[in-house]
Amino acid sequence: MKITPPETDNELFVRLRRGEESAFVALYRRRQGAIYRFVLHMSRSPAVAEDVAQEVFVALLRDGCGYDPDRGTLSGYLFGIARKLLLRQIERGRVDVPLESDSEDAAIPELAVAGSALEDLTHREGIEALRRAIGTLPRRYREVVVLCDLEEVDYADAAQVLGCPIGTVRSRLHRARALLLDKLNHERHPGPNVSALNPIRCLT
Amino acid sequence: MNCQEFRENIAEARANADLLQHSAECEACAALLNAHGTLSAGLKTLAAELRHVEAPARVELGLVAAFRSQHWRQRGAVGRQWWIPALSWATAAGVVIVAALFLLRPHQPLPAHRGAPGSVEMASMTDSPDVSAAEGDDGFIALPNARGLDPAEEVNIVRVEVPRSAMLEVGLAVNADSVSELVEADVMLGPDGLARAIRFVDEPTM
Repeated sequence: MKITPPETDNELFVRLRRGEESAFVALYRRRQGAIYRFVLHMSRSPAVAEDVAQEVFVALLRDGCGYDPDRGTLSGYLFGIARKLLLRQIERGRVDVPLESDSEDAAIPELAVAGSALEDLTHREGIEALRRAIGTLPRRYREVVVLCDLEEVDYADAAQVLGCPIGTVRSRLHRARALLLDKLNHERHPGPNVSALNPIRCLT
Repeated sequence: MNCQEFRENIAEARANADLLQHSAECEACAALLNAHGTLSAGLKTLAAELRHVEAPARVELGLVAAFRSQHWRQRGAVGRQWWIPALSWATAAGVVIVAALFLLRPHQPLPAHRGAPGSVEMASMTDSPDVSAAEGDDGFIALPNARGLDPAEEVNIVRVEVPRSAMLEVGLAVNADSVSELVEADVMLGPDGLARAIRFVDEPTM
């Protein structure tokens, strides 16, 4: 029995442009979840996530939607639209997410861990703590964590979405993880930041 | 390798022998690597837990409705596209045919009294038998071969511009230098629309 591989996004897009509803539905079902979750993580508002997800696919239906397979993946294109729409919502004040001005060189916590602080990250409480920690990350770090770690978008696509070089994605992700570790440590050990008080220096 | 380099490249530590070597020798960096691994595992678990979170079904319903609406509009537009040029061409052809009929059909000028010239129009001077080139009292000269007019017949007179050479046809003298000039003439049309006689306006009939 011959197994037919699933159609690629681009193949579905071509059929969609020809007016095939089944292609549109297939593409929507394949990509809507990630788009919705991305906006939900960023906005923390199901209503905003729903609106943005809908707008993203409405944009895809437009004749001059601007998607060019030579410039990136359809997934990256959809995330990019979602991000722009989300930023617009933030600017309008509909989303309670501050427009950060922190630079790429903003101080990040020393990468350090305190004993068993992270041991139960795969358990219920640990997962909830992780979710809360992600929600408190500055927007630029939260979006790379959501894209790359939660939605498994590769760095090239993430760079397309964020409109920055791949190296910037890597560095932001590095900082984001450091911040997450620090927040998780801090949640388990309230009070002064342990790592800040006792910076670890390895001389080997 | 030092700890700074290790931290900067910790994401690739598990696939990099140098980094692994460093973590084996440095307890702090080993703990850090372990924490990163735990964090990655936690993120994966969280991602798996959230995988079922999707947009409400009403979003898909709304989008499919939008898709259908747009596609039907496009299909309607495509359906209309074939006959838009066809209609344009048909309209243009119709205009040409009407114009041609208007220009070529025998005109039915308004009834006019003999000697009262009408508007300037084209007149055909069709050959017709049994007409003598005789000039009447009103200055009209019967066209050669044109059928004679019964006095009771209603006639129409139209004013036209004809080449001066037309005067030659009815036996009038024309200066050779001015043969190609246009001159005004009244053409008498019979009830059948055919020209029967001509009178040159402001031209000597000698």
